Amino acid sequence: MKLMVTFDREGVLEANIANAILKSGVPVNVERAQIDGDDGWTLLDVADDKAEKFIAALRHPGVTVRIQKDAVSHNITECVDCGLCISICQKQVFSFNDSWQLQVNSERCVLCGRCVMYCPQRALTLQQ
Amino acid sequence: MYKSIDDINERIRDGSVRVVTAEEMPDIVDELGVSGALREVDVVTTGTFGAMCSSGAFLNFGHSEIPIRMEKMWLNGVEAYGGIASVDCYIGATQESTTKGIEYGGAHVIEDLIAGKAVELQARGKGTDCYPRQSITNEFTLADLNQAVMLNPRNSYQCYNAATNMGGRPIKTYMGYLLPGHRNITYSGAGALSPLPNDPTFSVIGSGTPIFLGGANGTVVGEGTQHSPGAGFGTLMTTGDMKEMSPEYIRAASMTGYGVTMYVGVGIPIPLLNEEIVKHTAVRDEDIVTSIVDYGTPMRDRPVVRKVTYKELKSGSVEIDGEEIKTSPLSSYKKAREVANELKARVENGSFLMACATREINAVKKNRPMSEHGVVRRVSEMMTSTFVTITGEKNVKEAATLLLKGNTNHLPVIAAENRLIGIVTTYDISKAFARDEEDKCVSDIMTRNVITALPDEPVDLAARRLQQHNIGALVVVDPAKKVLGMLNSYALGDLVGERWHQ
Ligand code: SF4
Ligand code: SF4
Repeated sequence: MKLMVTFDREGVLEANIANAILKSGVPVNVERAQIDGDDGWTLLDVADDKAEKFIAALRHPGVTVRIQKDAVSHNITECVDCGLCISICQKQVFSFNDSWQLQVNSERCVLCGRCVMYCPQRALTLQQ
Repeated sequence: MYKSIDDINERIRDGSVRVVTAEEMPDIVDELGVSGALREVDVVTTGTFGAMCSSGAFLNFGHSEIPIRMEKMWLNGVEAYGGIASVDCYIGATQESTTKGIEYGGAHVIEDLIAGKAVELQARGKGTDCYPRQSITNEFTLADLNQAVMLNPRNSYQCYNAATNMGGRPIKTYMGYLLPGHRNITYSGAGALSPLPNDPTFSVIGSGTPIFLGGANGTVVGEGTQHSPGAGFGTLMTTGDMKEMSPEYIRAASMTGYGVTMYVGVGIPIPLLNEEIVKHTAVRDEDIVTSIVDYGTPMRDRPVVRKVTYKELKSGSVEIDGEEIKTSPLSSYKKAREVANELKARVENGSFLMACATREINAVKKNRPMSEHGVVRRVSEMMTSTFVTITGEKNVKEAATLLLKGNTNHLPVIAAENRLIGIVTTYDISKAFARDEEDKCVSDIMTRNVITALPDEPVDLAARRLQQHNIGALVVVDPAKKVLGMLNSYALGDLVGERWHQ
């Protein structure tokens, strides 16, 4: 599952993610990160059955962890099911069902924002 | 056996007509054979729902008290063409708003009108004896207009190229966002459900053919602009009454980095008059071949990456160079089916009759490129071949001296055989001096990713690259990266000036 981890001023001072990986022994995949001196955030991918253990190890002042579920929201009234987003997203978030209707599996999203930018109907938004 | 249009209309009127969509037809022909299918089925309905940039509408406003001849006009801030008569205009789908850019354009005005929303009209005229008024601002809805006639000069392509990008940077096109290094493929059209693949010889589709357009019962005007059936790219000019249209089948769209366009639902019924027509309507996605072309080459004749069928495109991925590349449509197959089914329902319930074309459409014509009389200027004609270069092991100070002596801001860095490996500019040198790094090697401070041009490239392409990268000069190299010259923005500035003054 995807975890959205945000750091405040205190949170950026320490190697929180590295520490949590060492402490829990759970490997994680850093999918995106934006961190500077004052604050920041990172999106991590971690195996579902190990997530609880990892989140516990990550608990630290200045660090907030949220399970990222509905990263992209899809406005079905605006969408015309063209499918252009399918090949723009390289994370397989979008697909067609048997009736050529768009399906969104937003758990895989890494919040790159490309689909939002290039959907011709402006039917997609990122939740952050 | 053959049937006449009258026979079919008779059956539509008495309710015994048999209509199927183009999707169902191939299996029926397989099962019953061509003559069996002709006996069994009367009409095949087609449908497509895609981005049709070449769309727009004629609007008539009627006269105001104190009449005005509207010469310049804007609808919700989108300019419409007023050079028609006193109170008419043509609003083109791709025209962009003067304030909102591509987020609102002609297509959005059309969609808003069809949805029943009020639109603001602003117009100006010079004032004449018969039309004294000089300006007007007014709000109107579709119901207030005398006529609102959609006219799409070029719609419903017989077939369209699929797009990929072999280049090194992402590009934003009317075919959507194309990732670098051919990581995605986009295509348009509903394949075997599209109208023209079901009548590629234009045996029943011609001027006057009744069609479904944006929810209204419309008509084919005749051949569309750029019509090129000889190359597999026939097009139609279509028209319909906007007042009968529905926002279900007309949707404005914005292609980021490209512009505004309009998704239009078009469906054409094919009356089955003889076996020849039945055979055409038995077409399947695997029979329709198109080319995947490289949109990364911004020239008219884009290289074909490979040929592909609609069946492959619709499967979700296509192989290029042994790699599976994801495909996605930009037209909606789901909506195309809705169009074909809605048209089928209208024929079945008697509200849509067949008609003979009043004028045939040429089925073999080929589109011509623009006949250009100006000469295309090449990079080699505009570049300077007197330039100075430096090697990587020289130091910053030596580079500074060379720049001054050569009276230039750009110093290509070369290795053996004049091969380009980097570039240093006056900016890099000043930066190095400011940091007390004048003894450093040029290769330590140079930019390695040099933006280059080829000598036989059209100058306009090189100019766009200068603009995109916001730089002052391009290094002109041969395919082996040997430095041949420099093309700097001053030279191009002269060229542009020359064109404007002609
Ligand atoms: S690109 Fe936009 S309109 Fe097209 S299917 Fe995706 S969400 Fe829908
Ligand atoms: S934001 Fe990026 S990763 Fe997420 S769905 Fe859109 S394109 Fe895919």
